[in-house]
Amino acid sequence: MVYFWPSEEPKKIIWSSEVTQMWWKLLLFLGMSALIVVSFITPTPQHYERLDLQRTLGEASRIFYYHIPQAWICVLAFAMAMVYSVQYLRTKQQRFDDRATSAAALGLVFCILATLSGSIFAKVTWGSFWNWDPRETSIFILLLIYGAYFALRGAVETEERRAALSAVYAIFAFVTVPFLIFVVPRVVPSLHPADSVVDKNLKFTMGTQVRLIFFSSLALFTLLFFWMFGLANRVQSMVRQREERD
Amino acid sequence: MDGNYIALGVTLAVWIGLFLFLFRLDKRVKQLERKN
Repeated sequence: MVYFWPSEEPKKIIWSSEVTQMWWKLLLFLGMSALIVVSFITPTPQHYERLDLQRTLGEASRIFYYHIPQAWICVLAFAMAMVYSVQYLRTKQQRFDDRATSAAALGLVFCILATLSGSIFAKVTWGSFWNWDPRETSIFILLLIYGAYFALRGAVETEERRAALSAVYAIFAFVTVPFLIFVVPRVVPSLHPADSVVDKNLKFTMGTQVRLIFFSSLALFTLLFFWMFGLANRVQSMVRQREERD
Repeated sequence: MDGNYIALGVTLAVWIGLFLFLFRLDKRVKQLERKN
């Protein structure tokens, strides 16, 4: 918890903590609202002209402001699920299993959102929602892998056994994430744009305006994810407390 | 009407809905935490 100023008085601490939390929520609300407006009213991204994709991507390229951050959150959440799973196996503390589950659940939600936004983009640019392109196939496999994580959790009744098995599964599942998201689509020929953010020399392919909107979107989506993750954990810990009491 | 403005309206409506849901949930969780 972050406080504006340290205080011994509990009331003041609660108040200052609430004020801080209010500020960043307000910042998130205004920031995301402004981002949505700006992402739709600014002229079509100019940087694609350099890549000669303007004609094919055009207005559809605006989806990058949402699709790439969703995919980034998906990777971040699955990485967090893996880290919490390792912590669970080391300490056997149930709260780490809860956090790993929350992270994996949110990762799956953002993975579904990235798939949906990607298929809208595919419809506009390739003429069909689903083409079994290597990128689409790899994200489909990823969805199946993390869907199986929850199927596994649902299949094991003993709490400790469920936590241990799913922790091991989450660690192995994450090994496939960089491979399926970053390696496969670059090794196998794909219709998916490969130089959306950086080119082969790791130089930004975006113009200043697009870069500003894109990185703001990335930061705001990350903030939104941590808010959702925090909330999921608080709900989970209350459920656990109630179960222990009963 | 320009398709961009329709997409803008839909996205804003979804965002405001999601934000209100999370904000209310946050408030409710805080109340329950204090009660406990």
